[in-house]
Amino acid sequence: MLNHIPDAIKLVDYIDDGEKARHYKFRLLNMKHPWQDAQPGQFFMLNVPSIGEAAFTFTEPPNEQGEFRALIRQMGKLTSTLFSLPTGEVLGARGPFGRGWPLEKITKQNIIIIAGGCGLAPLVNLINGLTNSTADNKAENVATNQQVVLIYGAQSKQAQLLTPERERWQQHIEIYNTLDEVNDQYALAENENQGTPVDILDTVLKRFVKQPTIALLCGPEIMMYSAAKQLVDKGMANDAIFLAIERCMHCAVGLCGHCYFNEHYVCKSGPTFSWQELQ
Amino acid sequence: MDIYQLDDLNRLQQHLMAQFHLYQVINNDDEQCSWQQQTKAENEPLITKLPQSSAKEFFFAEHENLLIFNGDYFQETLPTPEPFVLFGVLSCDLTAISYQDQFFKDDPYYQARRQQCLLVGLDCIQPCQQGFCPTVDAGPGVREHCADIILHPLEDQQWLVITTNNKGAEAIKGLALNISHSHLLTQRDLSLHQCEQDFPDHTYITQGINKLNSGEIKDTFWQQIAVQCLGCSGCTTLCPTCSCYGTRSITVESDQKKEIKQQRFWDSCLYEGFQREASFHNPSSDAGKRVQRFWQHKFGNEFFTEFNRHGCVGCGRCEQTCPGNIGVHSVMKRINNDA
Repeated sequence: MLNHIPDAIKLVDYIDDGEKARHYKFRLLNMKHPWQDAQPGQFFMLNVPSIGEAAFTFTEPPNEQGEFRALIRQMGKLTSTLFSLPTGEVLGARGPFGRGWPLEKITKQNIIIIAGGCGLAPLVNLINGLTNSTADNKAENVATNQQVVLIYGAQSKQAQLLTPERERWQQHIEIYNTLDEVNDQYALAENENQGTPVDILDTVLKRFVKQPTIALLCGPEIMMYSAAKQLVDKGMANDAIFLAIERCMHCAVGLCGHCYFNEHYVCKSGPTFSWQELQ
Repeated sequence: MDIYQLDDLNRLQQHLMAQFHLYQVINNDDEQCSWQQQTKAENEPLITKLPQSSAKEFFFAEHENLLIFNGDYFQETLPTPEPFVLFGVLSCDLTAISYQDQFFKDDPYYQARRQQCLLVGLDCIQPCQQGFCPTVDAGPGVREHCADIILHPLEDQQWLVITTNNKGAEAIKGLALNISHSHLLTQRDLSLHQCEQDFPDHTYITQGINKLNSGEIKDTFWQQIAVQCLGCSGCTTLCPTCSCYGTRSITVESDQKKEIKQQRFWDSCLYEGFQREASFHNPSSDAGKRVQRFWQHKFGNEFFTEFNRHGCVGCGRCEQTCPGNIGVHSVMKRINNDA
């Protein structure tokens, strides 16, 4: 039978990031469900009692102690209530749900990752995996000449998220940052550009020694669609481009209907889809 | 499958009432009819009139509690209904129940109710006003897999009683019914065949379905249809296969304790805010897209594959209720003529 009942979790702590965003750390008070099977790109339903539930991705999946992290932006009633709660509060979580990133398809591939705003959150776990490589993995990556490039777009310098993480990743992968708004006094850094990730995609593709064979996209739909179209124009296959789709959800188990996308339900068939599946 | 002949329907009703709460469609004062519980010794006559509301609410409640949060943990609040019988469900509505059985097969709340229910189906021997069940393979005769017991009216107040499974057979045990002659089954087939012949020509529906699946219909057509959609949810509420729902929290506070309930309630994909996110991004802000999706969900090949049938059972309730005249008959005619 489907699971509509959340497990109780404790709000352990949080750290502010960017504008109105926080990294929350939660701890499961029991591990009744297969939480440790969570894959990068999968999500959970956070239950804020008295308000309801909403879907969030893991930036760190549950560990053996049941601790996990999520990057959450204050947006509506549920997140505003969450932001007002003290540490120690008991909330609920159901999951893990959905189909995450196609890990089996990205091994040894040249990858272009394009993220906008909070869209970087579902990729954190995956990029950590790519960059926290063991000595063996590093040797393997060198042997296969795997090249990974991230383009991260934010509205402004202040709105950028995950700065320490990006600095750490930069030691292993190439990162280009774009800013929609830049004030006159601000001097762009070497890997920074004004505009959106799509604006610099063409230039970034030229930096690949061998063209990327997999693209992972997450962010505003208009950004993902433009990027996907541009990548197809450059010769990338429809089934090599993966997009994480965001939709409002009430059940996360394919029943409530809210997250429909054509004939798909994002909670069950997604949130990660290939560009081919979305045509 | 066992077949019996019955001369007094009241006997069967009383026999079932001894084991189940019995619900039946009864005429109301306002010329409508609805599902009502029967408790009298002398039962109301069985009518073959389509009730305004289907039987879906018996299994997928219009609103129900999913859980209670007591401050420390979340507790499931499954319904515990006593055994009940829906007596005289028409074939279109039974087909819808079978469709929802498939959709909600792993939903504990739906199944808690459904497993307590005995379905007694009733064959239609005359077409109804807006119905087109033969066009979508949902009637007029009750499909064997959709009911536990099937009733077919014969001449002179006689009834054919067909049990389709063990549950049905068990329910009529002890009633001492006469085994039917096989020629009465042939009579049933003829009568249902005649009923199918008596339906008006609904070729435009089949053609509409084909056109809908051809990918030829332009967005502008759906936008024109959507001008007439008031977003009232009349169609989705009355549609026996519609199953979208929302959830909400309700806090009940007293001096002693605070309890938070989470409820689910019928929602409608035709509401403007159905997919609106907290950021106010709305993937279905275009009314034309919402209306298109509704009809695609009912008749699209992509959904047919999953359920092995269309999501529409041909009851015609959407046509009867839509204040904007964009129920199934109107839309299918316009797809044929204007799309």
